[in-house]
Amino acid sequence: MTVSNKSNNRRQWLQLRKPVSSRQSLISAIFIWVLFFAVWEGVARAGLVNSLLVPSPHAIVTTLVDMLINRDFVYDILISIWRVVLSFGIACSVAIPLGIMMGAFPAVEAVANPFVSAWRYLPAPSFIPILLMWFGTGETPKLALLVIGVIFFLITLIMDHTKQVRKELIETGLTLGGDRWTIVRTIILPSVMPNILTAMRQMLAVTWTYLVIAEIVASTTGIGAMMMRARRFLHTDEIMAGIIVIGALGLTFDILFRKLHRWLFPYLHGRES
Amino acid sequence: MSKPSPKVENPVVTHKLSIDAVSKRFPLPGGKEIEAIRDVSFGVEENEICVILGPSGCGKSTILRMVAGLVDPSSGTLLLDGHEISGPDKERGMVFQAYTSFDWLSVRGNVEYGMRINGVPTAKRHEQAQKFIDLVQLGKFAEVYPSQLSGGMKQRVAIARTLANDPSLLLMDEPFGALDAETRWHMQELLVSIAESANTTIVMVTHDIEEAIYLADKIVFLSSHPGRVHEIIVPEFKKGRRYTDKEEVIAMKGYSALERQIMKLMREQGASDDY
Repeated sequence: MTVSNKSNNRRQWLQLRKPVSSRQSLISAIFIWVLFFAVWEGVARAGLVNSLLVPSPHAIVTTLVDMLINRDFVYDILISIWRVVLSFGIACSVAIPLGIMMGAFPAVEAVANPFVSAWRYLPAPSFIPILLMWFGTGETPKLALLVIGVIFFLITLIMDHTKQVRKELIETGLTLGGDRWTIVRTIILPSVMPNILTAMRQMLAVTWTYLVIAEIVASTTGIGAMMMRARRFLHTDEIMAGIIVIGALGLTFDILFRKLHRWLFPYLHGRES
Repeated sequence: MSKPSPKVENPVVTHKLSIDAVSKRFPLPGGKEIEAIRDVSFGVEENEICVILGPSGCGKSTILRMVAGLVDPSSGTLLLDGHEISGPDKERGMVFQAYTSFDWLSVRGNVEYGMRINGVPTAKRHEQAQKFIDLVQLGKFAEVYPSQLSGGMKQRVAIARTLANDPSLLLMDEPFGALDAETRWHMQELLVSIAESANTTIVMVTHDIEEAIYLADKIVFLSSHPGRVHEIIVPEFKKGRRYTDKEEVIAMKGYSALERQIMKLMREQGASDDY
């Protein structure tokens, strides 16, 4: 029985709703990227595209290494990371307490939500001209754009997650003698923290999007600014190196947040006995 | 049938819990009101297991929630040990049908929770928690997170957590309703032994007739739409005793007659139900 099952598995690659092993998913993920770059490299080498506009992956990697070692690209990367971390930190330090308060106390929601939800429909980039007029060309307008871009979504997400803390948990706390602040602190906060961290992970990706916009439009430093400089000299390889670095950074932060989630909330990730 | 006379303004403290002429109306959209409970009166004695039973829509959970202080009555009074109930308090701990384990705390952390927020000193807290963890037979699982527990175990955590907080009254809203039949039956037996060893006064809501007869020292049977006390039933055949073996009770003379009587009541009183 087991033997025939095994050979069956081997023959049937497409199995309805059958989860794949972690080994198979890793191989599959590597495969699709290798395929993508292989096709690209092949097309570029065969001269099927203009190498000025579409450099080969090999050429991009060579440029990237050169930029990291011999030019000041590391500085641009660090300043971009710093902008993202700082503005996201500012956004979170407002959004987390406010979102929790709005989700826990309908009276706070009644005041804050009409304001917050309206802002969500104002596209953050539309503030760039006025931010430049107000704050000049320093760091402030960039940070302000990044904060405006995520804070209102973050508040709303955190409020919604807080509202989803089950009524029975709160009522249990009440019948155990907790007052409202004790319940916010010892029941609502720990219940909602895992979801807040997930919301932060999702919104951090959006922050990267606004970072590139800010740096392309109004900056002389950072990854985005480097890419705009490269465009002027038709350095497509540098632009693509920039894209790759942004992607790699986004992925790294995502993985860090996942690790943090596992580390902070072990009870949500199966047994660790 | 035993109803306290409605004339009494301030009933003498004869019951541990007295519910006197309590009504509850909920507002409906459109300005109308629905009457969930009408003029409900009964008392619960010290160390008694009182089961509130009735067809769906009789407002039994609403009564329990009013005792817990989670819902205010529209009229009437609820007194515990002679004091009027207003708002939730640790003297009236509640166990819900839905699982209420705090997933971020171990079983021990859950059981200690109430004592922790009420400022019970650490040593006393540990000792008390251990006692109730043992009482609900979760000794081996004290350091485990609730997500690794079965439904029955989660409810045992909830019971231990409530009792460890030393309430004057244990309220249970269909606590075993989400459990499979076998677990439910074990939990009922466990509850009897807990009530015996911890001297707990329990008010429990259920729609399970068998559960009511097995557990109750007294059954308050409600009729529906609006909920009123239809009859107070004392399972006389148990002769005021409790049994930790459920089959013993089921085999007793008088059990099936009472079960039949209550089923008939259920059918009559629930017949006007919309569903």
